[in-house]
Amino acid sequence: MSSASQVERAVLEEEFNWLLREEVHSVLKQLQDVLKEASRRFAMPSPGLESQLKQENFILGSEGVLTLQGEALTQADINLKMAKSSQVLHFQFRDDKHWKLQQIQDARNHVNQALHLLNCRDDSYHFKTGAEVNKLMDAVMLQLTRARNRLTTPASLTLPSSPPSADAGDVMVNFYINLSKLCLTVYQLHVLPPNTTKNFKPAGSSVLHNPGAMFELNNNRFEVSHVHKVECVLPWLSDTLVFFTISLQPASSSKTR
Amino acid sequence: MSGNNLVLPIVLWGRTAPTHCISSLLVLDDCSAVITGCHDGQICLWDMTPELQVPPRAMLFGHTSSITCLAKANACTDKQYIVSASENGEMCLWDVNDGRCIEFSKLACAHTDIQFYQFTIGTQREGRLLCNGHYPEVLVLDASSLEVLYSLVSKISPDWISAMSIIRSHRTQEDTVVAVSVTGILKVWIITAEVSRMQDLDPVFEEESKPIQCQNCQSISFCHFTQNSLLVVCSKYWRVFDAGDYSLLCSVPSEADQGWTGGDFISADKVIVWTEDGCSYIYKLPPSCLSASEHFRSDVGKTREGAVPPLIYKIADQPDKKLLICPPVTRFFFSRREPFHKLLIQGDSEGRLSMWNVPDSTPLPVSCTLSLQESFDGLMPVSSGIIDQLSAQPGKEQPIKVTASVYIPAQGRLVCGREDGSIILVPATQTAIVQLLQGEHMLRRGWPPHRTLRGHRNKVTCVLYPYQVSPRYDQRALVSGGVDFSVIVWDIFTGEMKHIFCVHGGEITQLLVPPENCSTRVQHCVCSVASDHSVGLLSLKERKCIMLASRHLFPIQVIKWRPADDYLVVGCSDGSVYVWQMDTGTPYLNLLCVLYYVLQGNLPKYSHNALVVQAMKTNVSDPDMHVLFFDVEAVIIQLLTEEAQRPNPTLVSPRACTRIFKQVKETMKETIKEHLLDDDEEEEEEQRRREEKSKSLSLLEYNLTMDTAKLFMSCLHAWGLNQQLDLICLERLGMLRPHCPISFGLISRGGHMSLMLPTFKESLLRKLSVATGRKLTLSDIVGKGTYGLSRAVTTQHLLSVISLANTLMGMTNATFVGEHMKKAPTRPPRPGGTPESPRRGSSAPQSSPPPQAHIKQGLAFPVSTLFCVEGWSQLAAMHCVMLPDLLGLDKYRPPLLEMLARRWQDRCLEVREAAQALLLAELRRIGVSGRKDTIDLWAPYLPQYVDTVSSRESPTKVKCVNIVNGVNFLILINPYEHLEEASWCFMSSRLSL
Repeated sequence: MSSASQVERAVLEEEFNWLLREEVHSVLKQLQDVLKEASRRFAMPSPGLESQLKQENFILGSEGVLTLQGEALTQADINLKMAKSSQVLHFQFRDDKHWKLQQIQDARNHVNQALHLLNCRDDSYHFKTGAEVNKLMDAVMLQLTRARNRLTTPASLTLPSSPPSADAGDVMVNFYINLSKLCLTVYQLHVLPPNTTKNFKPAGSSVLHNPGAMFELNNNRFEVSHVHKVECVLPWLSDTLVFFTISLQPASSSKTR
Repeated sequence: MSGNNLVLPIVLWGRTAPTHCISSLLVLDDCSAVITGCHDGQICLWDMTPELQVPPRAMLFGHTSSITCLAKANACTDKQYIVSASENGEMCLWDVNDGRCIEFSKLACAHTDIQFYQFTIGTQREGRLLCNGHYPEVLVLDASSLEVLYSLVSKISPDWISAMSIIRSHRTQEDTVVAVSVTGILKVWIITAEVSRMQDLDPVFEEESKPIQCQNCQSISFCHFTQNSLLVVCSKYWRVFDAGDYSLLCSVPSEADQGWTGGDFISADKVIVWTEDGCSYIYKLPPSCLSASEHFRSDVGKTREGAVPPLIYKIADQPDKKLLICPPVTRFFFSRREPFHKLLIQGDSEGRLSMWNVPDSTPLPVSCTLSLQESFDGLMPVSSGIIDQLSAQPGKEQPIKVTASVYIPAQGRLVCGREDGSIILVPATQTAIVQLLQGEHMLRRGWPPHRTLRGHRNKVTCVLYPYQVSPRYDQRALVSGGVDFSVIVWDIFTGEMKHIFCVHGGEITQLLVPPENCSTRVQHCVCSVASDHSVGLLSLKERKCIMLASRHLFPIQVIKWRPADDYLVVGCSDGSVYVWQMDTGTPYLNLLCVLYYVLQGNLPKYSHNALVVQAMKTNVSDPDMHVLFFDVEAVIIQLLTEEAQRPNPTLVSPRACTRIFKQVKETMKETIKEHLLDDDEEEEEEQRRREEKSKSLSLLEYNLTMDTAKLFMSCLHAWGLNQQLDLICLERLGMLRPHCPISFGLISRGGHMSLMLPTFKESLLRKLSVATGRKLTLSDIVGKGTYGLSRAVTTQHLLSVISLANTLMGMTNATFVGEHMKKAPTRPPRPGGTPESPRRGSSAPQSSPPPQAHIKQGLAFPVSTLFCVEGWSQLAAMHCVMLPDLLGLDKYRPPLLEMLARRWQDRCLEVREAAQALLLAELRRIGVSGRKDTIDLWAPYLPQYVDTVSSRESPTKVKCVNIVNGVNFLILINPYEHLEEASWCFMSSRLSL
């Protein structure tokens, strides 16, 4: 009886060692490949060579074109029809001004950190305990979840902190990523009289503010009169999100083993 | 919550040290302590002795995720503050001396490094914290309020900052921040006085931005010896740059498969660089890197890659070290004061600190290495766990580990599930007394009486007493889950196993109670979560599983309820959320969204119970440790309530007789009651009967309140200072002496808590031995030792002991004599008698009638009452005024005036009176000069105090206290002021009027 359990034990131990020696590395390799693929989607600027980054153009609905270079929007050519008046608002970036999408940069850095963790433990590394593998997987998964969360949850903004538009005084714009979509919101504002008796309630922070939201900026009070939202899909971002989900899978299943 | 209630924790760590997988490390400037943060969010304080020993002193709780960095947070030496930051953006400012949390905040972004910087503006010095992390700026925070003041921003290719260093150069008289971004760009910001004065949120842009091709930068350090060079360590190479124009001086690649993780200069011409497996290498820099050499900068522009400078020596791991589960953290520390230590310190996943003295030439063996577990193992007597005496295993040294526990305050009982599958039910105060105090219980085996429930085949992972959460459940039902996949329902009173649920395919990880407004069917269920990613709703009434949701792909982290819609919401570790219909068990929705991380019940919940026993673990794999939380106010209220429930002494004698009869002659109770009871008595009797009913079901009967007070007072009393008083305490008051110094804790702002490790006595002993100049033993510091720990601890303890002594003084014949062990007769070794009668008999003298009744009887009872009153008053007096003289100032940390002042208007009268008495005693003790200093210290915080005094309408309360030695003090307390310490001030009448 006891000898049988001893044999069983030895077999299990052998199996576990195999798991640590072979299986873990094959999972790690797999994970690494997926992440490399994901990381490749984020065009990493090498210092000094930013201008050589591939430019991508995205059609923003029927309203215009945006150019994304790495993590920054470099050019825009957007025409928005204003409500009520038939006036068309035309947007362009100044040549020296870019709109940096911090979400993309953060996601890219998180992926690279995960990749770095995996690179430190290549085939030549011999895992000694299961706890060690667990710890590594925890760290990798944490980075991946962070990366995904950065893309899936755009930072909410209070209106005064949303970046002001370049030219038109009564318009505010905000670009952000939501899942794999690049979104542009344009707020048309109208100035409230300074001593207005209308109950002034400053809006809190939110990704998207509705018409009627009020806020104060530089001692002027504004009310959002119209909101325009246009979006387009960044195909490579949706790829990346799929990669994240794919890579979390083996990571967690290898953990449970 | 913690701000108002006077709650004192006492911790029973058990023999297993908590898991402490070190993630960050800090050495204090004066070499007095090492601080480590771990992956589970705790911070450990290790005292450092001049002989470079590091006994761990305390553990700080408050962070809910991995600690990413630690930094000092003030410049002066009398107070030592540190700041800690965690993965989820929490920041916390701690006082190292007493483990108090001074300030805390939470930002959306996570810091990976913090550096302290002191600005000098004119004569004023202001502390700043420079933080970098998962964001593209360097944030500048106020070091005392943790508010973000402004940020250092990059104009050119902004990106996360990997490493940063503050450079104070005597050459340029300018302080600069040098940082490397993740893309390998060197950034330089000038932080001069002008910048520091700028209080608005205008960003500061970089002075210089230079690509230096340093990807995966791990650290950057400035050579303080020559002030001419910078060391940048990346995982695949390390480089030295000129600190003036940042030109590359030399570059050294890493060994084949090793990655560098950090480095520093150890002298003008040597650097130390360490790897992720814990080895350190000391290199001599080539002449082109040395400003003193004629070849300095000779290689600029033509640096050869791969030229390895001479390796002087290597500091390797000890070969016998246990396997590590993640790379250790290494730091080099160079003290700029006596004795000018150059130390290499390493903290690893085993909770081990290793320290090397780094000499200039020859390698030295490790100076010191100690893990938390080793320090626990070395303790004599060993650190006790809550039910160690019941868990001893024959032939084994280690007791059976407690793996899950729940405390039932209403019954005063602790339920402990253990690793062998058994569950122990035991009265909490009794078992704590066994662990902490000396007494006759030490002679009894199997004391205190307990009940063992056996049913699980392996480790018990969770226990739940649903009745405690909601009275809709059966009072008898206790639910437990184990690694054997089963959930068992027990009858807590009979110990019977009622039902076994085997519905899960994995270890049970959580047991929860659905909220109040669920459907009636669900209301009688408990919710079980298992490691096979399934959730079940187990009906205790129907004894079947009414829903099993098991399609989750990832481990379940959190369960939320939407009772109105009949939804059960399951949050998984990957951030996905599943919504289930509870009654039908159909998946309703599956959405991807971010979950708010919910605490795993690690932090104590407070309720209005005198004693709460909270099981805690720093890591899921650890056994439980138990923290006893004493709520002083609740103890006092319960004591007073019981006192009030005693018969009114002015009542006519027949009723007093009734009571005596009742106590002595249980059998005659019914008849006497019929004849003599009136309405009042009836009500009381009703309650008694109810108690009786519930008690008869329970394990044993004892006075929970008195037991709690006894345990608490025995732990707090400063034993060994006054022989006579100690004798009175032991014999008249029935207190017990502790086995060894007790590990207390301190709760500070926002539920942050510091708990002394059992090894604190070692460092305390050493400190006191040095202070007194003679060798002390452990028994020398039992009791009184805790008053030499820290000022905050002293304050809390004195307040508690005095207010409780005053309460007991006002009670009728309040003594703990006879309280203890009074249930003994029901157990061997005292055989004979029915369980009922001896207990009654033994309890009679203790709950004896009030003084007046005794006087009527004209017997010796009132004398004993008087003795008790006198005993308590002596006890209070000693702690209130005599302690500093008896202990000697070198062994005494006086109470903090501001903490006492804040209690001046405490809502609990007894605490308030104790605070007032203590405050006056302390003011008297510090003398005129001390009071003057205090006034000077606080005066700046109340600039308009004269106005405040004159206007009667202001919320500021003015109290005039006449201190004996002729100085009148005005104490201002503003109850509406939130600021902890700026809200009060003492003023001598001469100063203000």
